Amino acid sequence: MSGLTLQPRPVPGPVPAWSFPVGTEGRVTGGPGTLRCDLPGRRLAAVRLVLDAGASREPGGKDGVATLAARALLEGTEPGGGTALTAAFERIGASLYASADLTALRIALDVPVPRLGEALELFSTVIRRPALADSDVARLVNERLEEIAQEDADPGSRAARELRAVMFPEAARSSRPTGGTKESIAALTGADVRAFFSSAVPAEATAVVAGDLSGTDADAALSGALEGWTATGDSLQAPDTIEPTAGPRIVVVDRPGSVQSYMSIAHGVPNRSHPDWANLMVASHVLGGGLTSRLNAVLREEKGYTYGVRAGLLRMRHCGLFITQGAVHTEVTADAVSDALTELRGVISRGISAEECGSSVRALADRAPAEYETARAVAAELADASASGLGPDYPRRYLEAVRAATPDGVAKAYATHVDPEKLTVIVVGDAAQIREPLEALGYATVSITAKD
Amino acid sequence: MAEQPLHEHTLGNGLRVVVCEDHVVPLAAVNIWYGVGSRHERAGRTGLAHLFEHLMFQGSANVAEGEHAALLESAGATFNASTSFERTNYYETVPVSHLELALWLEADRMGTLPAALTQANLDNQRDVVKNERRQRYDNQPYGTAFERLCALTFPAGHPYAHTPIGSMEDLDATTLEDCTDFFATWYAPGNAVLSIVGDVDPEDTLAAVERYFGGLPAGPQAPGARPGDLGPLDGVRGEEVDEEVPSPAYFAMFPLPSDGGNDIEAAELAVEILGGGSGSRLYDRMVRRDQIATEVWAGVTRLAGGPSLAIVDAVGPDVDKIAAVLDEELARFAADGPDADETARATAQAERGFFEQTETVTGLANALSANATQFGDPARVFTAPKRAAAVTADDITEMAGRWLAPGARTVLTYGGAK
Repeated sequence: MSGLTLQPRPVPGPVPAWSFPVGTEGRVTGGPGTLRCDLPGRRLAAVRLVLDAGASREPGGKDGVATLAARALLEGTEPGGGTALTAAFERIGASLYASADLTALRIALDVPVPRLGEALELFSTVIRRPALADSDVARLVNERLEEIAQEDADPGSRAARELRAVMFPEAARSSRPTGGTKESIAALTGADVRAFFSSAVPAEATAVVAGDLSGTDADAALSGALEGWTATGDSLQAPDTIEPTAGPRIVVVDRPGSVQSYMSIAHGVPNRSHPDWANLMVASHVLGGGLTSRLNAVLREEKGYTYGVRAGLLRMRHCGLFITQGAVHTEVTADAVSDALTELRGVISRGISAEECGSSVRALADRAPAEYETARAVAAELADASASGLGPDYPRRYLEAVRAATPDGVAKAYATHVDPEKLTVIVVGDAAQIREPLEALGYATVSITAKD
Repeated sequence: MAEQPLHEHTLGNGLRVVVCEDHVVPLAAVNIWYGVGSRHERAGRTGLAHLFEHLMFQGSANVAEGEHAALLESAGATFNASTSFERTNYYETVPVSHLELALWLEADRMGTLPAALTQANLDNQRDVVKNERRQRYDNQPYGTAFERLCALTFPAGHPYAHTPIGSMEDLDATTLEDCTDFFATWYAPGNAVLSIVGDVDPEDTLAAVERYFGGLPAGPQAPGARPGDLGPLDGVRGEEVDEEVPSPAYFAMFPLPSDGGNDIEAAELAVEILGGGSGSRLYDRMVRRDQIATEVWAGVTRLAGGPSLAIVDAVGPDVDKIAAVLDEELARFAADGPDADETARATAQAERGFFEQTETVTGLANALSANATQFGDPARVFTAPKRAAAVTADDITEMAGRWLAPGARTVLTYGGAK
């Protein structure tokens, strides 16, 4: 390397101040709450409408009707309307998307700012008089059945399904797949979908609009789109709030011939309104937030068992789940689970160093400007805070709480809410190869479940 | 962000630099494209470009093992790397206060990577990459479809006949010497483009780049790549995949014109009109009307050194029926072309795609590196909407007829659950 001249490592100055954007609250007369968020320079506007009509409020026996309602909305306002609605949005460079999770039915519109008004007019017709026709729903039922088969063949999503089935009591909506089971979906009709959607109460919804709104009367456009939209159906039942149960348990979902095992290790934690949420986020990041996290340092960088594992918190409205997950080579499955358990215990036995805590706090808080650079990301986060009953200042409060985290506070929160001896361990893999080594860990009884 | 002037400069050692101001957020995106990808690999060493990408995170002369990631993570940076057929890309988006640290890290590994290369690091990252291969391809239903289609579409030994992940055998055979040779051959400053976008002062930034990268030796000129071209296919070459998958499925690949000229603009719009989303012809016909598929999708991977690639995939019980309807729709499209509304919609969607691609500092930096590396003109990124808007219905019809003719593609069929 002749002629090589290097500079000393620079010492960075302080990270520039940045705060999560705060919107201006309003309300459509007799309708949804609104939040307008002006983000200079963002040429793509985002509208996010969240309805308090997630899967956790589905009527008994109608699992998946929220998901089907979201999809049927995209079919337009005329029965068998075909491509008409999609084409209308495409023509103005817009896109419309809808989905449901346990918490909410979410409708997303993205459009270049100059055509926001036009796009909202179309959006309005979709909300006010969707066709939700029998023939479209029947086809969407078939598509959803196929999708369930695909999800079950994917190790990660199969693990997620099993995790909820095992952790939540049978009576909990959370124990069953958000998008329904083969049995529940096959029984759904257009009438079910229409009844469900017409029960969503506009006054319980929130519409967020974000983007470079200077020179745009976004409030008026939102009001025009949503005023006079009403609920005509029966009230939806109260959301499911049943808490997850504790282990220890190991459940193997048998996937014969699998060259890797997908492991998912979880524990219930409080929801985001709890003051320890930010501390638990920091703890998760220390454990499995990045390449240098404790779990990746051992499982990936030291042992090469995996392409990567991650630990994080799953947000649900009434609780949270602390989940460690990743795919590991079949032959080292039990060793990988054992190493993961060691690290999950380590936060309590070893605590967290000041350096680890500081690094994770900065990783979580200082990446926010990049994470929320687009109007889409800001609008989705604000809408989610609203759907979860946390208020529009939640994202800002959360980031402040992360910055205030201390090593002791983080370790204490973890020890309070996570018991490493009572984890639920799901492993999707080849039972013939991994069952005995998992039993030999002595952590919990190993039960085997069929893949389908 | 709005379009901003670009500041371009080439260092004495050949490193090309592009800087673009964007003051919307207090960030700086750093993006380096090295002109090496899987197409430059030799027989028996597939996967080397990607494996080497992993080794670039294992330390260099002044950066300890794991330190690159530790410094960036604790700065709140988002960072990663990726390897494709044609290039390897390293990027980080940092608070603007940490721009110089990011430059220093990139310069250290560009200049001194072999100083930290050890057999232990190679063995560990080889295991990680093999697990990446298992996770993303081998253990996923239909996961090897793209790899199989490339092997069917290109003749054996063609630079695009294998994909960047490589084979387990070749990964196992890779030696430390292969890695040091690879670095010496391909990682010289003259084979790289560095783009920086963000809340920066262009002059100060160019000066900082000069400071951190100017002291790296020029190194050898990168060898020329083997030709990658391939014309339209003249028949159907197929493979039935004997694999446990949830449902029967049909995958097809069509070569398209290379990126860089007018033809690919029209060809990409043709594919969008045919299969780009739920408003497309194939979706409307197969999923909505005939209901022979529960899902169909088509998309384009643009390539500059070889043919771009169109892929169509459909899930449905009767793959022969899917093939027949695909032929019908291709024939109708090649004969009649798009209607005016289809062309207008595809153009409007292309504009939104451009906004999405370039509205973040990370996305814009990547697009600048791409256009500088592949076409010698970073500002070409800003002409994307105009290039799409200039396409006429006749252009689309002509491209469809030439590249998307019925009976001219490679095909994979999956039989479904046994």
